[in-house]
Amino acid sequence: MPVKKTKRRVVITGTGMVSPLGRNCAETFDKAAEGISGIDYITSFDTTGLPCRIGGQVRDEWLAAFDDRAAGRLERYSSRGLRLMRTAVIEAAVQARLNEVKDRERVGVSLGSHGENISVGEMSDLLRFYDGRGQWDIPGLIKSGNYSPFQLYLRKPDTATSILSMLFDCRGSSLSLVSACAAGAQAIGEAARIIQDGKADAMIAGGCESTLNFMGFIGFVLIKALSEKYTTPQTASRPFDRKRNGFVMSEGAGAVILEDLEHARSRGAVILGELLGYGSSADAYRITDTHPKAEGAFIAMTAALEDASLSPEDIEYVNAHGTSTTQNDLVESLAIRRVFGERAKSVPVSSNKSMLGHTIAAAGAIECITTLMGMHRSIMLPTINHEFRDPKCDLDYVPNEARHTPYRRALSNSFGFGGQNACLCIGAFEG
Amino acid sequence: MKQNLITEETVFAELKKAIVETLRVEENAIKPESSLIKDLGAESLDFLDINYRLEQTFGIKMARHFILEHIEEMFGEGSAIDENGQLTEKAIMLLKMRYGNTYGDLSEGIDMDAVPTLITAGSMTEGVLDIMNTLPEKCTNCGNAAWKTDDGIKVLCGSCGEPAAFTNGDDLIKEWLTSTQEEKHIF
Repeated sequence: MPVKKTKRRVVITGTGMVSPLGRNCAETFDKAAEGISGIDYITSFDTTGLPCRIGGQVRDEWLAAFDDRAAGRLERYSSRGLRLMRTAVIEAAVQARLNEVKDRERVGVSLGSHGENISVGEMSDLLRFYDGRGQWDIPGLIKSGNYSPFQLYLRKPDTATSILSMLFDCRGSSLSLVSACAAGAQAIGEAARIIQDGKADAMIAGGCESTLNFMGFIGFVLIKALSEKYTTPQTASRPFDRKRNGFVMSEGAGAVILEDLEHARSRGAVILGELLGYGSSADAYRITDTHPKAEGAFIAMTAALEDASLSPEDIEYVNAHGTSTTQNDLVESLAIRRVFGERAKSVPVSSNKSMLGHTIAAAGAIECITTLMGMHRSIMLPTINHEFRDPKCDLDYVPNEARHTPYRRALSNSFGFGGQNACLCIGAFEG
Repeated sequence: MKQNLITEETVFAELKKAIVETLRVEENAIKPESSLIKDLGAESLDFLDINYRLEQTFGIKMARHFILEHIEEMFGEGSAIDENGQLTEKAIMLLKMRYGNTYGDLSEGIDMDAVPTLITAGSMTEGVLDIMNTLPEKCTNCGNAAWKTDDGIKVLCGSCGEPAAFTNGDDLIKEWLTSTQEEKHIF
């Protein structure tokens, strides 16, 4: 008789982040718990003339320096997104004592990121060697050195994963995800699968994003996705509020160390929490509009619950995707009503993006970590800027002030532009 | 001024071309009363695409914001959309004044989320014609009044050959709202 294989349990043994609110997890969480916004006028590029001039920037001095020789040699290949990620991974790896894991072929990396946009300056340098009619002066371009060969690596969305593997000596499974706003959560979910499949003992997983530049902005401006109506930068991101009018772009990174429970136990690692389940789906509907019946979001959330062998009644909190766009917040509220039924209005739901803005590929990872930290501290982070009730968003959004209450099981939603969805089910660790 | 060079039939025919290219629907499926969203399957970005095609065709600038957004901007928050997301009576009145029955019978009240579904091929044709009717008396380049069209689509100055400069769609709505407010003191 075949023996029924029990699923390996995946636990979290380290967390790290850098965000517009702080240089690490604790700083970010503490400020968020006070309802402080990390959004301000952008200084990283000249926003004159743009209808949205705000964002969530990470301070340069918060980034880990490339001080040792090995890291220093990789600096020129490193996009700002990767620099943020490296900072976050250092925090997570130190906490997990990841360097003590001997068998590095059993340690992998799973990263959600998108590479770095070409800058306007780099583009105009390039175009000096173009006649505008299809002909390039290649010898001139090569001779000028205007376009550095390292550019190739900054543009490629897979480079950051490679460099993380080198920096942290991870020779196991390697995965690069590019699923927009769902990428960070998917990177964590897929990394957990790799561990469950027995292909790795530990994984660095998470996401990073840094697009606070002209090329990162202009596309979102043209499709009118960013908030353009705000009285102050700090009140622009207002998820689930009737006067929400678009998302606020931010940069950041979130990293977790996922580990097979038995592996973590055998080396005496401190277990911070458990990744109980993961669901992913696609709306398969439209490129800019979310499914009006929240079909994709519903599939991802129920799949995460099923994966965790839990029912909706077991969930005490939802860390919402909550982007502050008209569509997402409406459709996400609907998805939550569909999943939780009559209980929907009594499940606290809050959006970290009200304070952090939208860190795109980093969001799912950052929100996974804040959810876990909230469990440790018995704090549900608030949805700030909740002033005007939207009759179509009628759930308990933990308005404006953090709620001090214990909880042990939560869902964290990440729904990508284009209809890619991910949901993580996170739990406090129970031996 | 009201222009007679470009006919409503031409505008509708060009709009149909733009819709066919954007939404890949059969041309004969497009009726003046077809809702772009409900009947033809348009999504939000498709409107940008269709507007862009119309702008290229006729040399105009379509409105980027719907009249409700302009009302809110000019007359304060809550002037067009109430706290339940319903259009205010004043907004409905203004919609009827400006667009007649193009948007159907709005007497029952309407939710703001349903407003985009009201946009039909007919209402877009009207929108283009409204802009084309801002043709100035005289060419802004050479000062002569000699408008002509060679292809029945683009209006050119018969004297200097420059294309006509029309008022852009957003300014047109704002001008209308300003004059209507001055005349009728709605807010």
